[in-house]
Amino acid sequence: MSEPLIKVSHLMKSFGDLEVLRDINVDIHEGEVVCIIGPSGSGKSTFLRCINQLEVPTGGEIYYKGENLCDKKADIRRFREEVGMVFQKFNLFPLRTVLGNVTLAPVLTKHKNKKEAEAYAMELLGKVGLESKASAKPSMLSGGQQQRVAIARALAMDPTALLFDEPTSALDPELVGEVLNVMRSLADDGMTMVVVTHEMAFARDVADRVIFMADGYVVEEGTPEEVFGNPREERTRTFLSRFLAS
Amino acid sequence: MDLEFLQVIIPMLFRGLKVTMEVAVVGILLGFVLGAITGYALQSSSRIAKVIANVYIWIIRGTPLVVQALYVYFVVPAIITKIKGETFILDSTLAGIIVITLNAGAFISALVKGALEGVDAGQKEAGSSLGLTKAQIMTHIVIPPAFKSMIPGLFNQFIISLKDTALLSMISVNEITRQTQNYATRTLNTIPAYTVCALFYLVLLSVLMILQKVVEVKINK
Repeated sequence: MSEPLIKVSHLMKSFGDLEVLRDINVDIHEGEVVCIIGPSGSGKSTFLRCINQLEVPTGGEIYYKGENLCDKKADIRRFREEVGMVFQKFNLFPLRTVLGNVTLAPVLTKHKNKKEAEAYAMELLGKVGLESKASAKPSMLSGGQQQRVAIARALAMDPTALLFDEPTSALDPELVGEVLNVMRSLADDGMTMVVVTHEMAFARDVADRVIFMADGYVVEEGTPEEVFGNPREERTRTFLSRFLAS
Repeated sequence: MDLEFLQVIIPMLFRGLKVTMEVAVVGILLGFVLGAITGYALQSSSRIAKVIANVYIWIIRGTPLVVQALYVYFVVPAIITKIKGETFILDSTLAGIIVITLNAGAFISALVKGALEGVDAGQKEAGSSLGLTKAQIMTHIVIPPAFKSMIPGLFNQFIISLKDTALLSMISVNEITRQTQNYATRTLNTIPAYTVCALFYLVLLSVLMILQKVVEVKINK
């Protein structure tokens, strides 16, 4: 197998006395869709936030294209330009229009001129089905629409990979589908994605690999068929039975 | 009642208004700059900046404005005179502007601190996750909503500062109140003089209060 795009090695994170991540080892390869599942408090979100250093890891290493991001000299800002993130609560910029949200970072970081950035933003908004909302303010959109804008905003940086932190958990049930559909089409286009999610059907259908986390460890990982169809670990079975029963 | 005195006092009040507005407007603008720096220092991680900011706020909040005015107008020039060995006189209007600036700055700093801290951490994280620098996050993501949330408070402070300028009559700044005093002592026409003065302020502040409401409705849209 080729060199992984992102390699996480012995990652640890504590908040004071609370050990949230104990020893995480995960490789993410280019073009792969990896879904991370597990009970709340298992450290899934913290793990994802450690990857782009929104949380500073307490120990271990994270390599991106061979460069150690935990090294003090690492250019984390450049990594963030290349690996985007989609948040549970969308985190759109409230005073900017939809178009302004999508174009801000490309204009500021890539020195793309405004016209180019806007043309590309419109293309991306078309992709997430929100061309008609370009001049709307985020507060005028539904949660599902806001999250699709957030995805377009991340895509505007032409990322090599995207991190999704429970992207549908803050949505009303009827709005989950539209966001998952956008994510599905990104996966079909070959985008490298790491998705923390409680959407088991999405993980089963779209993921190349599923990681089950509990208590700050990776308990089990494998293809969706392996993890959902024939889990090796007792903890995975208990977790999934609770989910699949409902 | 003989209303002829109005022909004398009204032009005086308008001359005073010019000075009042000059001191209040320049004071609030400079006070905003000072308050922005102080407010930024208050929520920064620098200990020294925080201590300096807090000492400044402590002194301003802990002393009456009139005493500050007397100090800036009389004491500071006296000290400079001693040091330089030649007479130094501070223009009273300039002294007034300094006092209003120092006062507005101390109160605006609290507004600035609250507004900066009030911006949702998630938006800063979104900015970070897009590869923006700290300075870009500050100017493009934090300051715009923070400033918007401060507008009502700033307007309020402007009204307070404008009323504070009346105290500057103590250091002979020729604003509205001082002009009224001049008229009253010259003519002994005390009751009408101060009545007209009060009404003059009431009209001026009413206009500002209406303006404030209009602005608030506009930004909440």
